[in-house]
Amino acid sequence: MSAITTPTTRGKKRRRDQLTFVEFLVFVVPLLVFVITLYGTLIWTFYVSLSNWSGIAANYEFAGFKWYQSLFNNIRFWVDVQNNLKWLILGVIPTVFLAIFLAYLLELAPFPAIESYIRTLILYPVAMSFIVTGTIWSWMYEPKRGVFNTILAALGVQSPLTFTTNPSTATYWLILIFIWQYLGFAVIIIQSSFRTSELQEMVEAATVDGASKLRILFSIIIPNIRSGLLVLVSLLLISTLKVFDIVYIVTFGGPGISTDVLSLYMFIATFQQHLVSMGAALGVIIFLIAFIIVIPYTIYALRRWFE
Amino acid sequence: MKKIFALLSGLMIFSMILSACAPQTVVQTVVVTEVVTQEVVVEGTPQVKEVVKTVVVEATPEPKKPQLIIFNWWTAPGEREAADAMYEAFKAKYPDVEIVENPTPGGGGVNQRVVLQARMTAGLPPDTFQTLGGAELKAYVDAGQLEPLDDLWAQLDYANKIPGPLAKAVTVDGHPYVVPLNMHIQNILYYNKALFDELQLTPPTNYDELVATCEAIKAAKPDLACIGLGSKEKWGDAFVFDAVFMEEAGPADYVKFYKGELDPATFEPFKRSLEKFQALAPYINTDHAGLTWDQATALLPGGTAAMTLMGTWAIGALEKGGGWKAGVDFGAVTFPQKPERILLFHPDTYGLAKGAPNPETTLKWLEVVASPELQVPTDVIQGGLFARTDIDPTEFPDPIRQELMQYVRDNPDKLILDQHGSIAPSSFTSEYWNAIASFLVQPNVDATIQQVASLFQQFNVKDASAWYQWP
Repeated sequence: MSAITTPTTRGKKRRRDQLTFVEFLVFVVPLLVFVITLYGTLIWTFYVSLSNWSGIAANYEFAGFKWYQSLFNNIRFWVDVQNNLKWLILGVIPTVFLAIFLAYLLELAPFPAIESYIRTLILYPVAMSFIVTGTIWSWMYEPKRGVFNTILAALGVQSPLTFTTNPSTATYWLILIFIWQYLGFAVIIIQSSFRTSELQEMVEAATVDGASKLRILFSIIIPNIRSGLLVLVSLLLISTLKVFDIVYIVTFGGPGISTDVLSLYMFIATFQQHLVSMGAALGVIIFLIAFIIVIPYTIYALRRWFE
Repeated sequence: MKKIFALLSGLMIFSMILSACAPQTVVQTVVVTEVVTQEVVVEGTPQVKEVVKTVVVEATPEPKKPQLIIFNWWTAPGEREAADAMYEAFKAKYPDVEIVENPTPGGGGVNQRVVLQARMTAGLPPDTFQTLGGAELKAYVDAGQLEPLDDLWAQLDYANKIPGPLAKAVTVDGHPYVVPLNMHIQNILYYNKALFDELQLTPPTNYDELVATCEAIKAAKPDLACIGLGSKEKWGDAFVFDAVFMEEAGPADYVKFYKGELDPATFEPFKRSLEKFQALAPYINTDHAGLTWDQATALLPGGTAAMTLMGTWAIGALEKGGGWKAGVDFGAVTFPQKPERILLFHPDTYGLAKGAPNPETTLKWLEVVASPELQVPTDVIQGGLFARTDIDPTEFPDPIRQELMQYVRDNPDKLILDQHGSIAPSSFTSEYWNAIASFLVQPNVDATIQQVASLFQQFNVKDASAWYQWP
């Protein structure tokens, strides 16, 4: 920027790496505030997780890895880790595949007249808050008076579905809400990555060559929408990892602790049990999982993208 | 050098912006210039000289309206009106005081506590805040966030105005720390009166009668759940379990158990209670895990459950939410009544926060909290019993609370802290609810006993709840 500045306008030529005062204010101050709030609280959380803060008043006495140890000995923690893994796998993979499929269907446009309406329609859920959709879904899921079982009963089917009240399957029903909510958003991202001229040309060439529609999808489109997949998978990974609201609203971790996740446990530990250091330790663990799973994926995907 | 200058000036501007945000005290200074005519005698000839005197008059700052900063979680319908009734009682006595309320939208105890905890940690305590008696109060006392109120209690003779166990539930190491304004009773069994009349049933008062009643209901109405339960918040399960456990263990061991003085692994009544609790599962609505307490209570007027075990706050939910009338559409008994009729309770209380900005006003507030003028309207609306035993029980509109209040007056010693008041610290209790709730959906007696035993160890319940004295 400063290279463009001509000496005549500023009197004397400034060096390239020097910032003007205004530039400093505009760029550096917000950056500083951002870095301090983000990394400051991150470090602070780590510090608190090593202290002995249990109770309402702060206590920064050093306790080492005491709280991590007590977490690792806790059944609930491992239930949560399992549930978080279920979310990571079942919340991301089906969503991505469904999205590719739906996006391709829309792209083939069997009904060009209503295509834009359909797109808007499936995008709607993501515009709503999880608090709202969670409440609605928890009503629909009610085994006795909920929408699904009432419809089934009206059709004469004695529904065996217990939805979120069965501890062994409850988490899957919660993940279904997530998929429903994020699907439209995923479709839009995938669709936009279809719209590159190279891809369009390749598809045209394949069509001329007589490739089938499915063949085009698997051999041409999917290998060539990396940028879209990169964005989508990272976003979904992060969203499933930090899932809190759906669980909080629909089951509050129940029945028992069968749908509990790390973030909900963090909230309960900190504010209900007053085990602030343990809550901080859970926060650090969530961060580490993100670090281990999300960041390597992003780096890997970025590398491939720029190859 | 320039960089350093830029950095410094940036910081300066930043700090100037920050300090500009800080509230400033405005002191008006008025400069009055007056001309005083003085006679000055200079060597015999009287001369008039004008002396100009400048008098600076500092305006005395307008007397600040006394304030009371209060934190409570009564924001839900029914509770909001109760909070307003409290303020009205206070305003009637101290009309000058401005009440600054910091309710947290969304009600719910947990959310309010999140904000309060953050404020206290930041060193910004309110004057007074709502807390339950028992473990929650103990946590504030341990954190050094409440002032002892020995003088106020002595002045009001409050220890003799309320039941002994209630005073003990808010007294730590001999010092009372808060003023309770009500008592909520946990173990009440509400039942559909029309149904019981139709089937000629009498409300059960112990476990065996409960099972027999449920069998009779199941035989007559197979679609009806005998016990309506909402376990989404987890404590609903603990309520039902407590009812079974109280009968098995008896009051003295019940207290010892939650004080961590008994080993769950060897304490037989705990094991028997789990088995009996498990045997109740077929009588409970199958969708309990998805329901909150108010949704479960609504099953009674909704005609899908015959009974529910819930606290005194369910009376309001049944009357206002369900359109039922106490004593007409629904009846209530405390459960169990064997081996003794014990009422499990917790109080709502207010105390004086350490570092409170307006301690004198707060003491006035607490005095009103202790008075019948506040307790009668507030408790009648909000749903609990009066903390004071010298108020006429017929102040309550419903026969259920009239009877309960009369029982408390006659038997003030039959009160023990409940799940919400909690004898054990909240770190334990929260996990304990999970263990009991998990047990109901995936019963495994031995694993649950082990888990509960390790919870007692992990959270050092024995030391943490040694403060609680009963009887």
